[in-house]
Amino acid sequence: MISVSNLSYAFKIGKKGKENIVPVLHDVNLQVAEGEIVAVVGRSGSGKSTLLNLISGFIQPEVGSITINGTNVSKFSESKWAEFRLNHLGFIFQSFQLIPSMSAFENVELPLVLKGVNVPERKKRTEEMLKRVGLESFQNHYPGELSGGQQQRVSIARALILNPPLILADEPTGSLDSENEKQLLCFIKELNENYGITFLMITHDHEVASIAHRKVEIIDGYLREERILHEVQR
Amino acid sequence: MKFKDKHKFVRSNMKKNRTRLWMTILASTIGCAFLIMLASIGFAIHKTAVDDVMSFRMVNEIQVQKESGMMTENDVMKLEQIKGVKAVTRKKYTPANQLSIDEFNTFANVMSAHMPSEEKAGFELDKGRMPKNKNEIVVGYHFAEDLRKDQPDNYLEGLSEEQAQEKMKELSYKGELLNKTLTYHLKTDNPDIKIEGPVQTVDVKIVGIGKKPAREWAHDNSVFITEDLYNEVISILGKQDPKIASADELKNYGEVKAFTASADDVKEVTDRIEKLDYMTYSIIKELKQMNVYFTLFKAGLIFIGAIAVLIASIGIFNTMTMAVTERSQDIGIMKAIGATPKTVKRIFLLESAYIGLWGVGLGTLLAYITSYGVNFALPIIIEQFVNETPPEGFMLSYIPWSLTAIAVTICMGVTLLSGWRPAAKATTVDVLKALRRDV
Repeated sequence: MISVSNLSYAFKIGKKGKENIVPVLHDVNLQVAEGEIVAVVGRSGSGKSTLLNLISGFIQPEVGSITINGTNVSKFSESKWAEFRLNHLGFIFQSFQLIPSMSAFENVELPLVLKGVNVPERKKRTEEMLKRVGLESFQNHYPGELSGGQQQRVSIARALILNPPLILADEPTGSLDSENEKQLLCFIKELNENYGITFLMITHDHEVASIAHRKVEIIDGYLREERILHEVQR
Repeated sequence: MKFKDKHKFVRSNMKKNRTRLWMTILASTIGCAFLIMLASIGFAIHKTAVDDVMSFRMVNEIQVQKESGMMTENDVMKLEQIKGVKAVTRKKYTPANQLSIDEFNTFANVMSAHMPSEEKAGFELDKGRMPKNKNEIVVGYHFAEDLRKDQPDNYLEGLSEEQAQEKMKELSYKGELLNKTLTYHLKTDNPDIKIEGPVQTVDVKIVGIGKKPAREWAHDNSVFITEDLYNEVISILGKQDPKIASADELKNYGEVKAFTASADDVKEVTDRIEKLDYMTYSIIKELKQMNVYFTLFKAGLIFIGAIAVLIASIGIFNTMTMAVTERSQDIGIMKAIGATPKTVKRIFLLESAYIGLWGVGLGTLLAYITSYGVNFALPIIIEQFVNETPPEGFMLSYIPWSLTAIAVTICMGVTLLSGWRPAAKATTVDVLKALRRDV
């Protein structure tokens, strides 16, 4: 599903011409199979979020290549990346990233709107998805009127609405209490087991990482350790 | 993303800061209304000038003259053969111009004309028929008004111009003129012609009265006599004054006009006539020159008006820039989940276009209302405060559809240009910075 080969990345800090180069990732190689949950763990500043941002297309790799679903995305333009993200990727963010002026329904519906799906189909699919995450009675609530757990469920519903084969999650439980964290992890497992969705999760929490089939650790920009935790059930 | 969804999205965004939005729309409205109103003054002056020129002549009329000498029958025949010429009217003016009935007298504009050509050129009768016999004549609609009794001494003393005009009407002939016989006095009020011997007279019968001129102020007291009568009159007068017998202008046509089927043909027909070495004069020619000056004048006014629109566009630029800044997080989220830069750009361009559309719509409406109000109130104000009556049909402001189209194009163009930069800025919003709330 994901193939990262010899990926290196460095941030350029400072004014143009007088930039300081700060290396973040060094020669990273990572393979994620279809139906796998892979957790990338590491300390703050280790480069795990940068790896996810590179795989998401939010930043462009300079060295190495990234292939997702058989497509080499390393040299994609911004527009191509946007289309690719819409059609192939789902995102779960630590801080939910919901649009505050839109209701839960509208937030979940947004990918369908961007894809140009017609209104009746959108309504049907959004209602179904909100029901699936247990928020059917909160569809007209705005993010500010929902709890953290509910907001994260809206975020998951939005990530799933276009049935992407791959979900990239950046610290998905980072803003949740332990109860909501448990519920979310169960939901991720359920999605993986029942629908075969692949997850690439960034977390610094080893308990969260424990639901993954495989755990990889980044230390100072190097992918140091790879451990199989569970066998993938197909 | 479908247009309908973009529209819905933009509408909900616009509702977020209504005061700012309406202030921006207000600025665009005033800018657009100012542009239209300012230019409408130029359009009104142009229209008044054109109407003024056109009110005295027909649009499809071409006056034709030779560079030297008078127009002859041969020239008329040549003109009649030119492609696009509908009719060629030709007139010979007689020096004898006094007519009377009982104690009523007038000095009229007496001429011989080729009546079939006159009819083709648009001459119509109000009553009666065209002349068939030598001594039959057709008179203009106002002929009876000019047929007056002699004015008693001190008749108009102490009267104002208007009162005098009314008083003069009392002296006019009041009865029916059709089929009446008048006395045509073969004498003239032209001081250059000295007719010796007793004044001879000819009895003429009015068989037709011309239609009332379309222009209300036009006064038609012409008298059309037959070619045979004209020749007889010239022959009689020629015996009394040898100058008349030899006068070239009396033997040939004093006035020749070519008429086209429509105003659109005038230019082509004029060119064809000029190729035959005739001199021409048509209203289209005069208007062409006049239009050049007025077009420059109007362009100048539109340019000044456009400055107001440019100032208003700064408001749109600011509003859109602030909207992009305020919505950077939303833009980042949208880009993260799959909105292309093109979609983002179109959303913001659509928003500035809506502001522009509202501004243009309200501005145009305001301009029309103001224009109507000014045209309605100005004559009243002038009458009240200056004690003068403005000319009939006078307009200070005139908004043709072309001006509206120009103003809408300028305003929408400027609006889209001012929204372009913020929209382009929206596409460059960094997703990561936006998601971190760093923008």
